[in-house]
Amino acid sequence: MEPAEAEFLAEKELVTIVPNFSLDRIHLIGGDLGPFNPGLPVEVPVWLAINLKQRQKCRLIPPEWMDVAKLEEIREQERKEDTFTPMPSPYYMELTKLLLNYASDNIPKADEIRTLVKDTWDTRVAKLRLSADSFVRQQEAHAKLDNLTLMEINTTGTFLTQALDHMYKLRTNLQPGESSHSQDF
Amino acid sequence: MFISDCRREFYDVIVSQRVLLLVASDVDALCACKILQALFQCDHVQYTLVPVSGWQELETAFLEHKDQFKYFVLINCGANVDLLEILQPEEDTFFFVCDSHRPINVVNVYNDTQIKLLVKQDDDLGVPAYDDIFRDDEDEEEDSENESEGSEPSEKRRRFEEDIIERTMKRRQRREWEARRREILFDYEQYEYHGTSSAMVMFDLAWIMSKDLNDMLWWAIVGLTDQWIQDKITQMKYVTDIGTLQRHVSRHNHRNEDEENSLSIDCMRIAFEYDLRLALYQHWSLYESLCNTSYTSASLKLWSVQGQKRLQEFLADMGLPLKQVKQKFNSMDMSLKENLREMIEESANKFGMKDLRFQTFSIHFGFKNKFSASDIVYATASLMENIEKEEPETTNFIKALDSLSRGNLDKLHQGLALAKKQLRAIQQTVASCICTNLVISQGPFLYCSLMEGTPDVKLFSKPVSLCLLSKYLLKSFVCSTKNKRCKLLPLIMAAPMDVEQGTVIMVGIPPETESSDKKNFFGRAFEKAADSTNSRTLHNHFDMSIIELKTEDRSKFLDALISLLS
Repeated sequence: MEPAEAEFLAEKELVTIVPNFSLDRIHLIGGDLGPFNPGLPVEVPVWLAINLKQRQKCRLIPPEWMDVAKLEEIREQERKEDTFTPMPSPYYMELTKLLLNYASDNIPKADEIRTLVKDTWDTRVAKLRLSADSFVRQQEAHAKLDNLTLMEINTTGTFLTQALDHMYKLRTNLQPGESSHSQDF
Repeated sequence: MFISDCRREFYDVIVSQRVLLLVASDVDALCACKILQALFQCDHVQYTLVPVSGWQELETAFLEHKDQFKYFVLINCGANVDLLEILQPEEDTFFFVCDSHRPINVVNVYNDTQIKLLVKQDDDLGVPAYDDIFRDDEDEEEDSENESEGSEPSEKRRRFEEDIIERTMKRRQRREWEARRREILFDYEQYEYHGTSSAMVMFDLAWIMSKDLNDMLWWAIVGLTDQWIQDKITQMKYVTDIGTLQRHVSRHNHRNEDEENSLSIDCMRIAFEYDLRLALYQHWSLYESLCNTSYTSASLKLWSVQGQKRLQEFLADMGLPLKQVKQKFNSMDMSLKENLREMIEESANKFGMKDLRFQTFSIHFGFKNKFSASDIVYATASLMENIEKEEPETTNFIKALDSLSRGNLDKLHQGLALAKKQLRAIQQTVASCICTNLVISQGPFLYCSLMEGTPDVKLFSKPVSLCLLSKYLLKSFVCSTKNKRCKLLPLIMAAPMDVEQGTVIMVGIPPETESSDKKNFFGRAFEKAADSTNSRTLHNHFDMSIIELKTEDRSKFLDALISLLS
């Protein structure tokens, strides 16, 4: 899976916007949206929120967790624990990226939030690499990781499986390794 | 017809249509176009953008597209001629004209159906009253003839005599009226000048619809600054408009910015500044900027050895080390930069440069991007008249348009580099013109002609660069000449345009005095002189005071101008 696909999935998440236009409820395959009234907050998927925002038709209200105090707490928690802590949103990284890119003027302390989320991400990915390393070293057959998000799995997924593949090939080749064709290497 | 409600009569009409945007090539037009494009993007309006650099292109663009479009938006072109006459459009074609050229053609003003003018009403337009210039009396005459039929013969004769008297009276009245009309029109059309910038008009539209963004506000500022740099508006008008924009700036840039919810560093901030009038100094070295700004170079007379000495004295007076002054402004010592503006202003006052600072705005975004409004104007203008590569004008236009968006920093930096070259070329040409006495007094005006083979002469075949050059030259000439009468004269400047076709481009600019109202009479004068001598001229440019002329016709054309104006 490509990171772009993960982002695409994240765009289904709901965020709150304050529209500045009025429109009746709209019926889409994915469900009904609206009604939109100027000044009244309404929940819409991120893709719509960003489109409306780009066209100056709404103000975006950041999700509850997108707050400096809360994110600091999450970061500390993440650093303290050895295992993965639950994240406020399964798409926290994608949402931060999208919202900060397109609506940074509606998000207070956007720069700090960006840094905090990135710190948390870095800690988690470091943990992930560490556990992958120990998983390979100890030649375990299976591992269980809780609280990982889709994007995080994506960063190591292909790499880890391919690496395991290669290792398997090398190992299976090693057994008849004493035979003649090892000379080729 | 003037539009009073921009939103209802203009935007709401075109929002559901396909629109053709015809945009002149000047920075103000580009900015207005940018604002309109942003609005169109918000509302998903389909539009086609066609850059036009002169009347001929406007006509061909119109002919090319007239079958597909009914709605045309003209930016910074079209107001000062009778559009219906030159374009011959169908009845159901509509033109929205947003143009800073004045005077506005009276036919455009009084056409109620097809031509809608987006013009700020509080400019003193001085449009003549309808009754003074239009009159439909052919019907009246017919009516009186019909009445006289079918009456008794004797009476008929008396009626006939009365009729003759009446008719001669009428004819005389008509003649008087026509003379008066000519006089009124002459007074109205005599001077060419500029009104409120189109970018500001467009910004007002966005503001009325509460769709104004910081970016749009910035474009409005750049549009206004362009008018100021091109010397199109008076100091008074500039200060008034800056005041208007400053209110918008403080509305946009000071909302809930406190410790608690600070904005991201990537967001754009506009700040009012009382900045130095040195061209591009934040992207150049202070020394280069001092040498290549028309104001300082003219005041210090930098083309002479003495002037160079004076510049050294000026720098010494400020206490700035030469090494610091000659290196990139960005890398200058922080301690020197701290109150540089005050320091320079103080010394400048001693050297007779009282207006070295002016009111302007600047933007910041990210950690290292800071631009002054004038930087952007220079960069965009030189991108538009880029002569380095032989590219079609549309490419340059699109590049210049792109350089106005914040996302295209590389284009902007390319523009800044070009602008520096342009300013240097201008300054060198000015210096050589003054040192070799190329500016000649012809009686009613000064005249200067650039020879084929002068360095950078190709650059000055472009109208905006040539105008800048002539304005700088006139400023410098006024400072250098001792002849008091010459100080009050306007200047005509000619530069070779196309060697193969043997044409020159000629521009006339109003005199450089403190109280100058920036009104230009050369437009009409050129027209008359060309008519009386049958010179092969081409009024292609939207400014009437810029013409193209066959090289052979130049001397008789100038003779006619001299006799016309003296």
